[in-house]
Amino acid sequence: MGLEYVRISPGFEKYMPRDYVDLVKYGPFGKQVDVMQMGQFKELVEEHPMCAGCYMAYFIRVFYAALPNPEDTIVLGTAGCARLALSQAAVPFIYGNYGDTNAVASGLKRALSIRFPDKVKDVVVIAGDGGLIDIGFGMTMHSWFRREKFTTIMVDNEVYGNTGGQESGMSPKGIQLKMAPLGKKFDKINAVELAKTAGCVYVARISPTNPKRIAKTIRRAILAARHFGPTFIHAYTSCNIEYSIPTREVLADARKREKQDFKFYEWMTDEVKEFFEELERKEKQEVKK
Amino acid sequence: MPEQRVVEPEYLILEAPRERKFITGSQAFAEAVKRANVDVAIAYPITPQSETMHLVGDLYAQGYVKDYYRAEEEYGAMSAIAGAVRGGARAFTATSGPGLLRGLEAIASWPGHRIPAVLGIMTRVVNAPLSIQPDNVEIAYLLNAGLIVLHAENQQDVFDFTLAGFVISEKVDVYLPVVVATEGFFVTHAKGYVDLPPEDMKLPPRDPYKAPVPPTDCEIPPARIQRDAPVQKSNFMSYLIHAVWQQEVWSANRRAAKWIKHYLGGLIEVVNPDAEVFIVASGCAAAQGREAQRYATMEGLNVGLVKIKSLRPFPTNELREVLKNAKAVIVPEHNIVGWLAKEVKAAIPNSGIVVDGPRVYGGMTLPVELIMDEIYKAFGIKKEKKTVV
Amino acid sequence: MKRYNIRIAGVGGQGVVTSAHILGNAMAAAGKYASLVPFFGSEKRMAPVEAYVRVSDQPIYEVGEVVYPNVIMIYHPQVITHGKSYTMPFYYGLKENGMVIINSDVDIIPDEDKKVLEDLNARIYMIPATQIARDIAGTELATNMAMIGLFFGITRLVNLEHIEKALIERFLGGTFVASGGTTALDSAIEKKFKKKQELLAKNMEVIKYTIKLAEENGWVETETEEVKT
Repeated sequence: MGLEYVRISPGFEKYMPRDYVDLVKYGPFGKQVDVMQMGQFKELVEEHPMCAGCYMAYFIRVFYAALPNPEDTIVLGTAGCARLALSQAAVPFIYGNYGDTNAVASGLKRALSIRFPDKVKDVVVIAGDGGLIDIGFGMTMHSWFRREKFTTIMVDNEVYGNTGGQESGMSPKGIQLKMAPLGKKFDKINAVELAKTAGCVYVARISPTNPKRIAKTIRRAILAARHFGPTFIHAYTSCNIEYSIPTREVLADARKREKQDFKFYEWMTDEVKEFFEELERKEKQEVKK
Repeated sequence: MPEQRVVEPEYLILEAPRERKFITGSQAFAEAVKRANVDVAIAYPITPQSETMHLVGDLYAQGYVKDYYRAEEEYGAMSAIAGAVRGGARAFTATSGPGLLRGLEAIASWPGHRIPAVLGIMTRVVNAPLSIQPDNVEIAYLLNAGLIVLHAENQQDVFDFTLAGFVISEKVDVYLPVVVATEGFFVTHAKGYVDLPPEDMKLPPRDPYKAPVPPTDCEIPPARIQRDAPVQKSNFMSYLIHAVWQQEVWSANRRAAKWIKHYLGGLIEVVNPDAEVFIVASGCAAAQGREAQRYATMEGLNVGLVKIKSLRPFPTNELREVLKNAKAVIVPEHNIVGWLAKEVKAAIPNSGIVVDGPRVYGGMTLPVELIMDEIYKAFGIKKEKKTVV
Repeated sequence: MKRYNIRIAGVGGQGVVTSAHILGNAMAAAGKYASLVPFFGSEKRMAPVEAYVRVSDQPIYEVGEVVYPNVIMIYHPQVITHGKSYTMPFYYGLKENGMVIINSDVDIIPDEDKKVLEDLNARIYMIPATQIARDIAGTELATNMAMIGLFFGITRLVNLEHIEKALIERFLGGTFVASGGTTALDSAIEKKFKKKQELLAKNMEVIKYTIKLAEENGWVETETEEVKT
């Protein structure tokens, strides 16, 4: 865009909504905000209708603060909890049909590559465990097999939260949920290994206990997708309602799971590793200057 | 690949010199895509469509189409088409029968998403038991989604409808997907004469900013930045917004009529407007009807043909006008449900004159002789059957 | 209007579908009209095969298999004697005043069938097409050529030039250029091309022979003879 379209034409400031003027002035457009400063800058998503204490909502706030180029990013989502917040962010959002995110993103990214071969246009899918690993499984996998250059983030709440708490492929074995009245009969699907096998160039698993690390992971996933190929983040974003986690224990739960099956894990191809080493060396030199 | 120069749609479609070629319906689809300045084509195989998308793949290899891939399945293909079009690209895909139904959730959402694209449909049975033959019942599934639906009679129609389809689809007052349906095998795999404009010309590229709903490309002013998701608001807001949106889709669908008239000479074609008995048909059945009309004329019977080119928008007023003095209307069809006969009956005030059929299904040939039998009946002629059957 | 709706019945390996294409291409070369119904499914040697062609001096609108033909061509006697056909009996759907062309060196039509054909006022032309192919081209594979030669000999819809053009399109791929300009053909291609040219010449000989056969037997249709559809 990016920036020239975000910025308000001179003389029009007084006609634009206050909210928007603040966003341009104090928001993250055109600069890299520090996620640790959240609360001191205007965020891309502020209002959302998600449940009180929802950890997915927190993750999404951090996600928007971490975008390397928010003015040139398009987010895609599908039915589920996440899109309730995604659709209210100041970043173009595509809400397609059930589980279609990775197919729509494939077409979108290709169209943008044809039309803007020399510009940065980041495409990011944020969808739930149901959308990506159940109904959209084929499209998720095939976008990776085809090496589509966009990022897929699975916000895994281990349940169909928005439809009232049904079992998903990512629910842990044995857990009793709607549509699993006798408890889930098979294991949580190993999405991270699937992503590696299917051709993702950067794969991470994270429990959102450390905002700096979330931001770094998201930034890496987006940059790697921009240059090399598909990238995937598996994020634990608990459903405090369906799993009856008291609001004040949501962070504790995330820490507990981090010690169990959501230990931070980051994997990338050698090519991507070299790229980040080079990039980080340059950034350090910049800082010294 | 020759260097292609951009010419105005009016010139390419209506005025450019044309050369006659003897080609299949699949080739006719590809010839249209070749001249349509298509950015993205997405393919998924299903008989009898596959050949069309093979040929479009060749166009990609030659440089006529900018991007092309084989999708995971039709739902993925149709979703990716939506993504590409929302990204500002001009896109084409095609499918058949079961593939269409697999992709239908995505396809039926295209009008609401305001996706201007062209979808080729090469008909094929959809019911079990499995078969690959050209029953066209699948078209009935497309009629209530807001899509523009054109039904091609032959290879020439396939070419003309597809090329014009891209232009009509992208008109600012339309901005809806255009379906170009034709019968599998009968048209796609058989050769016919097609008059083609030069291949060194192409349509202007898509201008995604000339649009009622702009593309999602981060290149537009912030009006597009969505701060709220209105349809998730209270019930009454939700009802209202969805209702208004649907009204607008169907209004846009009706507005396409003037462009179909402009580029394709009308929603219908009439042969012998002063006839007593009319055959009303679309697609391949119109070809059979055209033959029957010729034979009937040779036998001195005053029979006319109304070929319906556009099923959506449906030519209600045109049909009322042409059929106002008809004493019988024969509607031959390639499906068991008779979706066209229902449409015709609903369109005219005196639906009692509509003859339900003849119909063949399962992909069977529709012999002209069956239509002739209905014509004789309509005129009260008793014919001694001389063929051995 | 001259209009022939043809059903060809033969067995796998006889080039039934190939000859249908050549019929159509020859009509196109003559600036006339033809439509083919594509054949699908696997062809097996000696299994029944049917192809359908419509040819006319006027545009053809209708599509699909020819259910009510006015020309039936039987490429193999077993279509009649063994019932090797999708359409049984072999004359099913034949219209009045039509014609039946049969490849056989002996009369194989049962008397009861003859009666039916007589009632329909059908013309029956029987030639030993396989023998002709063997004698002239040295291969049974040219049986189909003998059959289409006879059809064109009777109907005179196209001339030899058109047929040759159709054969070239079919066997040499239309775009094949014999003198490659500055590019010399490599010997393999040259050899293959030569073989194809020989094949083409032999096929043409067979076609010429059956065209003459139609003339010698007085089977040629007169201009005024209109085929009622």
